[in-house]
Amino acid sequence: MTPEFAVSARELRRNFGAFTAVDGISFDVRHGEIFGFLGANGAGKTTAIRMLCGLLPPTSGSATVAGYDIGRQVHQVKGAIGYMSQRFSLYDDISVGENIEFYGGVYGLSRAAIAAKSKSLLADLGLSDQRHLLTKSLPLGWKQRLALGTALLHEPSIIFLDEPTGGVDPISRRRFWRIIYELAEKGTTVFVTTHYMDEAEYCNRISIMHQGAIVALGSPTALKQEYGLGTVQDVFVHLITGTTDR
Amino acid sequence: MQQILYLVQKEFRQIFRDRFMVGFLFIVPIIQIFVLGNAVTTNVVNVKVVMHDADRTPMSRDLIGRFTHSRYFRVVAVEDDYTALTRILDRGDASLALVIPRHFQRDAVNRDRPAVQLLVDALDGNSSGIALGYVSEIVQRYQADAVLRDPALAAPMAGTHRAELEPRYWYNPELESKVYIIPGIMAILLVIVTIFLTSMGIVREKEIGTLEQLMVTPIRSYQLIVGKIIPFAALGFVEMILVMGFVYLIFGIGITGSIPLLFAEAMLFIFTTLGLGILISTIAETQQQALFIGWFFMIFAMLLSGFFIPIANMPPSIQAITYANPVRYFLIVLREIYLKGTGLSDLIPETLSMAVISLTVFTAAVLRFRSTLR
Repeated sequence: MTPEFAVSARELRRNFGAFTAVDGISFDVRHGEIFGFLGANGAGKTTAIRMLCGLLPPTSGSATVAGYDIGRQVHQVKGAIGYMSQRFSLYDDISVGENIEFYGGVYGLSRAAIAAKSKSLLADLGLSDQRHLLTKSLPLGWKQRLALGTALLHEPSIIFLDEPTGGVDPISRRRFWRIIYELAEKGTTVFVTTHYMDEAEYCNRISIMHQGAIVALGSPTALKQEYGLGTVQDVFVHLITGTTDR
Repeated sequence: MQQILYLVQKEFRQIFRDRFMVGFLFIVPIIQIFVLGNAVTTNVVNVKVVMHDADRTPMSRDLIGRFTHSRYFRVVAVEDDYTALTRILDRGDASLALVIPRHFQRDAVNRDRPAVQLLVDALDGNSSGIALGYVSEIVQRYQADAVLRDPALAAPMAGTHRAELEPRYWYNPELESKVYIIPGIMAILLVIVTIFLTSMGIVREKEIGTLEQLMVTPIRSYQLIVGKIIPFAALGFVEMILVMGFVYLIFGIGITGSIPLLFAEAMLFIFTTLGLGILISTIAETQQQALFIGWFFMIFAMLLSGFFIPIANMPPSIQAITYANPVRYFLIVLREIYLKGTGLSDLIPETLSMAVISLTVFTAAVLRFRSTLR
């Protein structure tokens, strides 16, 4: 039984003391969609994504991820999702192959599965000859793709990407997005936060967060039409500052 | 189970790929044993003595000769000017001054209570106390010999010592402080390896973000804890075996009691320090903070363990605190098993105390770890 939506949030709220980081947001993410989560720094994107991944309990409200409740079924949620943050979280001091082996093992894959996955991932990344290298010696763009690969070892149905392309060159970013498209084509739901407005244009649908609330949600084309603006960047600036960047 | 194995494997890979770490783990114990075993000594030898002999008689020279020939003392000068003695002590050229007054021999022969004066630089109270003991031993022996030579002297001296103490020092007959200190070094090493490596290992993962990555995997927090503990506990035991080996090779001191018992007690002890390591990791955000907190605990644990300062010498309020210090019990247990071959039945209070402390600290650590990580 497949749940209706890959991610479904209802009045999801998180307070830190008197500060409301996420102010009762509701939205649905369809299966196999690339869902962009936009917002200025401090808009509450990371808090929202951390709640959805089971890293942070919500103050109130509810959400299901892959059909599991993020409050009561955290363990199942974690098994169903992949997560990659800007810090991409590989161990620098062990080799490329050892990182893959480790995360495969942590996700409970069998030795045979790990070996097979590792081989194909390394081949995809063009790192087969570098698998004995210490991870710290890889260029940033490669590290990010490797981190994404390790987050996908257990074939999650949803992958959460928290500013995955921060700080890399345009070529690496384009390569990274090519992988994201391939994933979505194969049916994986992609939930991605980004600062880059050109990346927002690649998404099927985007939501724009401002001061903890979702102020706009729709496909890039629909949003541009609604506000009569030419780019997602213009829509974003208009919504956040109330002015038009022209 | 499988997840834990992968965690342990990863942890060992990280440790052994780090050249510095491997060096630290294997070379530090050798240096510590060698240096501390020889240097942290409460044996007082080569105490510098200055002599002032105003009597210049065969008897006074005999007394001086006994100091010259003692391995505990080194006579640095025979000073004729009495007033110069203070200056010599002030300058630190000698820490003892023995003054033999005029008529020492005459008083002795006349049975008129002969006296000598001893000036002591007591800046280091412990050492001067011990040195004082040696002095009185020499003087007593001197008296006894004098009586042997001239039984007539026995009468006036009979009052001064009717009973004579002849101590036999068991388990450490030479009163070698090495024998006493080495179990202490073992405890310190275990503390270092477990508290510091555990806390810094976890905090490092916090810093680089891998801990967060692990928390989004279906791994359970108990698996994470076990996966972190096993490598460091294992390293702790390896260190202990290394230390035991070095101690035997360098100082020829072997274990008298049961090795399994020693390891079981060490296991109990390690649970506390691993727990402390985990606890620190939940408080510290950076490795630097972890290091500071670790030092704070370690200094207290060592100073209040009886390793450097005997617990009986501490004020009662501080003594009360030492009851919560696991190192206090572990030192006793180590020394008892290592040097005396004591069995479990005589170590029950210490073992129980360690068990209670371990359980408390470890439970607190696990609860805090789970709540901070969710």
